[in-house]
Formats: sequence, C-alpha cells, structure tokens
Amino acid sequence: MAVAAAALPRRRRITQSRWAPWLYLSPAIITLVVWSYWPLVDAVRLSFFQWNMLPTSPQTFVGWDNYVRIFALPKFWQALRNTGVYILGLLPLAVLIPLAIAIYTHDLPERSRNIYRAIIFVPMIIAPVVGAAVWRWLLDPGYGLVNQALKGLGLNPVKFLSDPNVAIWTVIMITGWKLMGFSTLILSAANANINPSLIEAARMDGASKWEVVRDIRLPLLSSTVLFLVVMTILLGAQWSFTYINVLTGGGPLGSTSNIYYLLWDFGFSTMSVGWSSASAVILFLGFGAVAFVLFRLIDRYSFHDN
Amino acid sequence: MTTEALRAPRIATRPLRRISEKSGLDTAAGHVLMVLLSIFCLFPVYWMLASSLRPANAMFETSLVPTSMSLDNYTQAIDAIPIARMLINTLVFSVLSTVFQLLTGIIAAFAFARWKFRFDKLVYTAIALTWLVPFQVVMIPNYLLIAQMGLLDSVAALILPNLAAALAILLLAQAMRGFPREVIEAARMDGARNWRILWEVLVPNLRGTIASLAILIFISSWNEYFWPLLLSRTAENSVIQIGIQMFMTAEGNQWGPLMAASTLASLPVLLIYIVLQRQVVQSFMKSGIR
Repeated sequence: MAVAAAALPRRRRITQSRWAPWLYLSPAIITLVVWSYWPLVDAVRLSFFQWNMLPTSPQTFVGWDNYVRIFALPKFWQALRNTGVYILGLLPLAVLIPLAIAIYTHDLPERSRNIYRAIIFVPMIIAPVVGAAVWRWLLDPGYGLVNQALKGLGLNPVKFLSDPNVAIWTVIMITGWKLMGFSTLILSAANANINPSLIEAARMDGASKWEVVRDIRLPLLSSTVLFLVVMTILLGAQWSFTYINVLTGGGPLGSTSNIYYLLWDFGFSTMSVGWSSASAVILFLGFGAVAFVLFRLIDRYSFHDN
Repeated sequence: MTTEALRAPRIATRPLRRISEKSGLDTAAGHVLMVLLSIFCLFPVYWMLASSLRPANAMFETSLVPTSMSLDNYTQAIDAIPIARMLINTLVFSVLSTVFQLLTGIIAAFAFARWKFRFDKLVYTAIALTWLVPFQVVMIPNYLLIAQMGLLDSVAALILPNLAAALAILLLAQAMRGFPREVIEAARMDGARNWRILWEVLVPNLRGTIASLAILIFISSWNEYFWPLLLSRTAENSVIQIGIQMFMTAEGNQWGPLMAASTLASLPVLLIYIVLQRQVVQSFMKSGIR
C-alpha cells in the first residue's frame, strides 16, 4: 500500500514534466506559428505564383518568373540603392551624433541631465503618424514654419517633400528625430557605466582629455556602438516606412521608396501577390544574411571590460 | 543599460571632477548642446499643441505662442471623423494586446524557467528569431488569413496576431531565470503546484518587470499603424492613427483639425509619460530599440 502510494505521485510528476512545458508554451507557439512562421512559408509558395489576391481568380504557377522580373526591374534597384542611402544617412543621426553628445555631456550635473533626458525621449513615444503629420505641417512649402523662417532670412523656400533630390533626406531627418534621443540615452548609460577609476588612473598618468576619450571611452563604448550600428543597418530602412507612406508615398519619382515600401507597393497598390512575395523572400534572405554577418562581427570585435 | 546605470556614477565621479578641475566653459558648451537637442526633439510636439489651439483665421501665424486660442479645430475634427469611437477602438486594441501578450508571455517564460525539456533551446531560439521577421514579409499571407476568416475591418482582427510576442516572452524568461531557485524549491516543498508557484510566488515578485513590459506593449500598440492600415475599411472599425491620416489628402491638408486629431491621439501616451516618466524610459531601454 505504502509503496504504491509513493510511486503514484512520482510517475505523475514525470509524465507531467514531459508535457507541462509544452502546455505552458502552446498559446505562444500557436500564435507565432500561425502569424509568423506559416506566413513565411506561404510567402515562399506564393512567390512562385501569379495571382491578384481576388479569391475568385486562379493562382497560376509561374516558376522563377517573378524573381527574374523583379531583378530586371529598375524600380527594384532604385529601392535597394535608396535602402542603402537610408542606412548611411541614419548612421550619423542614430549613432555618431548621440555618441558625441553622450561623451560631451557626461559631466553635466545630475539634475539637469535628468531634465534633458526626459525631453529628448519624447519623440520615441510619439506615434510615427503623429510625427509625420507634425513634420508635414512644419515643412509645408507654403505656410510651414520652417519655410516661413527661410523666407524671413531672405532664402528661397525648399520643397522638402516634393523635390526628388531633397525628399529622401527629409525622411531620413525625421526618422533621425525619432531615434536620436533614444540612442543618446543608451550611449549615456553605457558611458556612465565605465569604471571611473580607469579614467582617474589615466589622468594621473597625464593623459589629455582627448586621449582619455580615444583610448578609454571609445573602446569601452564599442560594444554599445556596434549594437546601435547593427540595429540601424537592420531596422533603419524599416523605421522610415511610416514616414514614407504618410509623407511621400515613395515619390517623387520613386526617390524615397525603399525595399520595405516597394514590398507594400507591389502587394497592395498593384495587387500582385507573386511579385510582392518574391521580393519579400529576397528581402528576408538578404536581411537574414546581413544579420548573421553582423552578429558574428559583434561577437568577434566587441570589447568588454568585465 | 537601465537607469540604474545612469544614476550609479553620481557618487563615483564627484571627487574626480574636483581633481580634473572641469572648466565652467566646457559645462556651458555641454548645456548649449543639450538645449539645442532638446528643442529639436520637443519643438514639433509643442508646435502641434500650439497649432491645434489656433483659431482658423490665425492658422498661418508664425508667433511662437498663439495670440488667441479656440477649440474650433477640435470640434471640426470631431465632426469630420468618429474620433471618440476610434479612440475607444485604439484603447480596446491596446489594452487587450497588452493583457494577452503578458499572459502568454508569463506562462511561456515559466516553461523555460521551470523545466529542462527536449528542444527547449531550439524553441527559445525559434521564438527569438520571429523578432527578426520584418512585418512586410508576412503581411500578405496574414492579410489573406484574416480575409479567409471573414474578419477584415474588425478590431478582433487587429488583436489576433498580437496575442503573443517574442519580446514579452524573452524579457520575462530572462527575469524568471534570475529569480532565486531556492524560493521556488521551498514553495514546491510546501506542496504548491506549478500553476500556483507561478501565480503566487513568481508573478507577485516580478511586478516591476511585468509593469514596465505592460507600459511598453501598451504604448507600442497605441502607436501601431501598419497592421490597422492593411485591415481598415471604415473609420468606425479603425484606430486613431488611421483617423489622423484622413486629414492629409492629396487635395490638401486641413492643418487645424489634423493637429487637433494628432493632439488627441497623443494625449493618452503623453499623460502616461508625464506620470511614469522614469518607468517609461527604463522599459524602452530594457527592450532595446523595438
């Protein structure tokens, strides 16, 4: 009797521990499979078909045609080039300037630093659509405050969003507006984390201010900087999506369109599921390859002090 | 990378500053830099508020402070689109997304913290990798699935893909792994079942993490634009972010109502920020960038 009673709960615990984790995980796994993994597989399938998204019209198998056509499309290469411009343009705003500010303001008094911190974080919580609306108003060629100010200075008004040479930089600037404060905070936190005795020791040895920055702060900040660079490369073009969609619609003449916007455009303006899915697959593979290389680089080159 | 880190050096750097004899000029230049950055970051938000309060005939004035104020833009915006309805939809969507992501996240994270099981590392990595799948890549199959379910143009469809999120699961799993095992073991000795250990021991102790995660999910859901844009057909079933866009058309912009609608859409988030400033910053920083 006693033996049986002792054995029973033990067996139950074993079977329970085999199934229990899966039971606890199931809602999350089901959601992610249905809305992330299965769609990924479906996108690959659809990329070999021609279909206009109407349930009544047939899906025709076209093999690699969609891919061949996309690579032949000037629009695709323009969007790819623009994606590169977005990334390069965002790097100074999302990494370099915040880095300089973080180092430069390191010695400001605690209280004023807290106030600045609270203010520069505001764009991060403002909805991208709201940000787009306000910037559209500020930059309006006729009545916007910025152009009014330019006129006041005797300069010609700038068509910030409708001049093909300027529009992409305007979108980059607005995306940078959203990110700058956040990067600054991340870098200030990392900068403040540096052990002060290291810097004190260097100063005792007669290192100049610039030498302290170059030989101690920058190397110790390198892993945070790398992290931000990687994030900007991987997500930079994506962050600008809302601004492109609300402010320029990819125009003028496709000058602000990037690869993410092109996907949207293929799928929902031209209603061509095959093209859109094929470029989604290209994007995903390219994106995955870049992410893989960058994370390997982080592992190899970041420098830790502890 | 938490605010802890920002506060820590206060004690440590004080004596240092005295040694290095930091010049006042440098500090002044630092202030100038920060003030410029602050203006750049805050001015657009101020200008939105100020413009929304200008009467129609003063819309194009450039005085920094409105010379006269009126709520006309707000009444116009409310007449043009069902703003109250859209705000309620946004609230329902954000609250339900937050609650569901927390629930699914808490139980999934518990599975990783409590047991070692076959494929546990693989599943964890697979969950983490969904974070890297750009939304644009899966949007068409997701849209088709919603269409098949007959849920286009409904708030329910907005919530469905947001029932669980990698970010919530990963952050909670990290927090639970950091929780002292002895406490869990002690509860088990007392005969508590896993379900009770989770809700009566772990969850109350992880209040801080859960709260900051809730803030983060709520604000990001409130600001969500892309997925509602795909699904919306009518203003009545859409969220406020889509409503804002209705004032920007190819024919021209209704600047006053546009700024009023934008202000209304931002107020809830700004209020949360004003009340919980420290926690909001901390929760965003903990999560990395997204």
